[in-house]
Amino acid sequence: MQLWFHNENTYPFVPQNILDEADSVRASLPGHLCDPKIAADLFHECMDESLLCDDLGINIVSIEHHAGINSLYGASPIVLGALARQTRNVRILSQGTLISIRQDPVRVAEEYATADVMLRGRLDIGFVKSGDSEMASGNANPVGNLERFWEAIDLITAALKNQDGPMRWEGKHFSHRHINLWPRPYQQPHPPMWTATGDPDTSRELGRRGMVNSVVLRGIEGTKRAWSAYRDARKEAGLPEPALDRFAYAAFVYVGDTDEEGVSVGSKLLWFLNTSLKQAPQFSKFLPGRMPPEMAPSVYRTKPRPGETRAARPADGLIGMTAEQAIQRQIMFAGNPDTVTKQIMAAYETLGGFGHLIFIGRSGYLTHAEAEKGIRLLAKEVLPRVREMARTRQPAVAA
Amino acid sequence: MIANERMTVHGIELEVLRGGNGDPIVLLHGMRSLTSVSRFPSLLAGHGAVVAPSCPGFGGSPRPKDFDTIYDLIHLQRAMLDAVPGERITLVGFSFGGWLAAEVAAQGHSRLARLVLVDPVGIKISGPETPDILDVFNRSPAEVRRAAWHDPDRFAPDFDAMEDADIVRHARDWEALCLYAWHPYMYNPRLRYWLSRIAVPTLVVWGDSDGIVSPDYGCAFAGLNPNARFETIAACRHHPEVERPDELAALIGSFVRS
Repeated sequence: MQLWFHNENTYPFVPQNILDEADSVRASLPGHLCDPKIAADLFHECMDESLLCDDLGINIVSIEHHAGINSLYGASPIVLGALARQTRNVRILSQGTLISIRQDPVRVAEEYATADVMLRGRLDIGFVKSGDSEMASGNANPVGNLERFWEAIDLITAALKNQDGPMRWEGKHFSHRHINLWPRPYQQPHPPMWTATGDPDTSRELGRRGMVNSVVLRGIEGTKRAWSAYRDARKEAGLPEPALDRFAYAAFVYVGDTDEEGVSVGSKLLWFLNTSLKQAPQFSKFLPGRMPPEMAPSVYRTKPRPGETRAARPADGLIGMTAEQAIQRQIMFAGNPDTVTKQIMAAYETLGGFGHLIFIGRSGYLTHAEAEKGIRLLAKEVLPRVREMARTRQPAVAA
Repeated sequence: MIANERMTVHGIELEVLRGGNGDPIVLLHGMRSLTSVSRFPSLLAGHGAVVAPSCPGFGGSPRPKDFDTIYDLIHLQRAMLDAVPGERITLVGFSFGGWLAAEVAAQGHSRLARLVLVDPVGIKISGPETPDILDVFNRSPAEVRRAAWHDPDRFAPDFDAMEDADIVRHARDWEALCLYAWHPYMYNPRLRYWLSRIAVPTLVVWGDSDGIVSPDYGCAFAGLNPNARFETIAACRHHPEVERPDELAALIGSFVRS
């Protein structure tokens, strides 16, 4: 099993009364609320945490979000470039440049090819569909987002694979007359490709393509739905069963010396859910294209009618969660090394195994020192045991 | 008086409201599609043969695969004019439909006799940092509601009170509007240059307190077309056809007869 460190580089230092009054903590908070001196410290702390992971054999996820307290990584390729130079050992997953809000996927392919060369082939490319306030920040039409997403992936893949001189792309959303990457990627034909999604339809397409399906904070049931769709689609297409390295489970993780420390420090990670997800209704429930119009009655009304099932974005069910609830729903593993080992293996068994565990190890007011302590304990006390157990057990695939 | 029918234009199936007799009046809806329970089409049918299609994706009109640009809509509306019987067509467009109507009229059509634009969008007037048209997708629903309606408690959609089918229709309208008009937001950078090509008498009507797109913008819009005159209707904002249907129908009726 591969372990991946995921840190969104959050900015929790906006006064709570301002956050309470704002209709959205993403996309629209004025820039004067972000102190660049504090941001600089955060960037360097987060980079140091990544370098610690590099020393400890933990892979690193490089992410992207825009204009909000949930993440300072708006210019994602810059951070990826810094990681490419400063790390020496582990793999870096860019999950990733938000391709459906970028105007030119060829430029994205160039950035990825360059990063893969600098990394001497240690790059994994992850695609994220994006949505909600990112559509405003990225000036991207939310209607047709998925169609652009797949065309961008096809174009990036073709550009990375091409070694035969200038090629052309004349698609529906993108056109480019002269695609010729220098350098081409280090890995042939291109770096491994992932997509983060809990949407079963998207997972089906990932299954057909054989891409890695990471599922972030969807818990056991949501993850089962996605991975079942992945496996079913491959079966229907007559493709071989996927190996466990096609599946990545992402959760908050904090390991302390004791259960009390693990839970009390780990619960700080839930700031991400309880504070940084708040989005204005125009970026969430009323955003066109994010769900079929037929679902609008249960979303638009202020309260459901008798007998009506409430439809909501997956993130809505996460807001206001306690540490106990998060652990019970298996979106957080927290405690002493024994406890966390058991929690991870319980999820592993229930899900029929997974080849990658992505752990969100810092968020909100969890400090740099606390993050580094948790990373060390996870790497030294938990990872060897989890790896050994995962190697010797062959879990049945969850139905 | 108004019937909800289906028609096919260039192979594209459309929901269409029809009613009245006389010279044809083609009505292009705005951000929201029109229904047979809307008062305005019935009132306008007293002045001519009203044909009011729902654009693909809006209301009850399906959207063909890959039909997703303003270019598609302009071609469709030109084909619609070809399909409408009668010699002297009046083309009426509200808001987003006003943009389409202006595009069609700037290109010209042999049977187009008059043009009416009601709170249209479609052009850029101010500098790059000054939006002319309130961003209905990026601003809060409460702000959009205040800007769009003079009397929101009476006229704005109330989802808690609406039936499922009406909410689904509203969501279809919203999605289609976003698809077509997201970028550049609600305007064609080149339309302004071509507006003077409109060769038919044009009436530009504005809700006098429209907060989505201001009467000043309307005045400037009308000023770009030498054949246009500008009128305002009191006590309404972006939807005169909903908030002041009688006044608007009378104004258009007298323009059609002039």
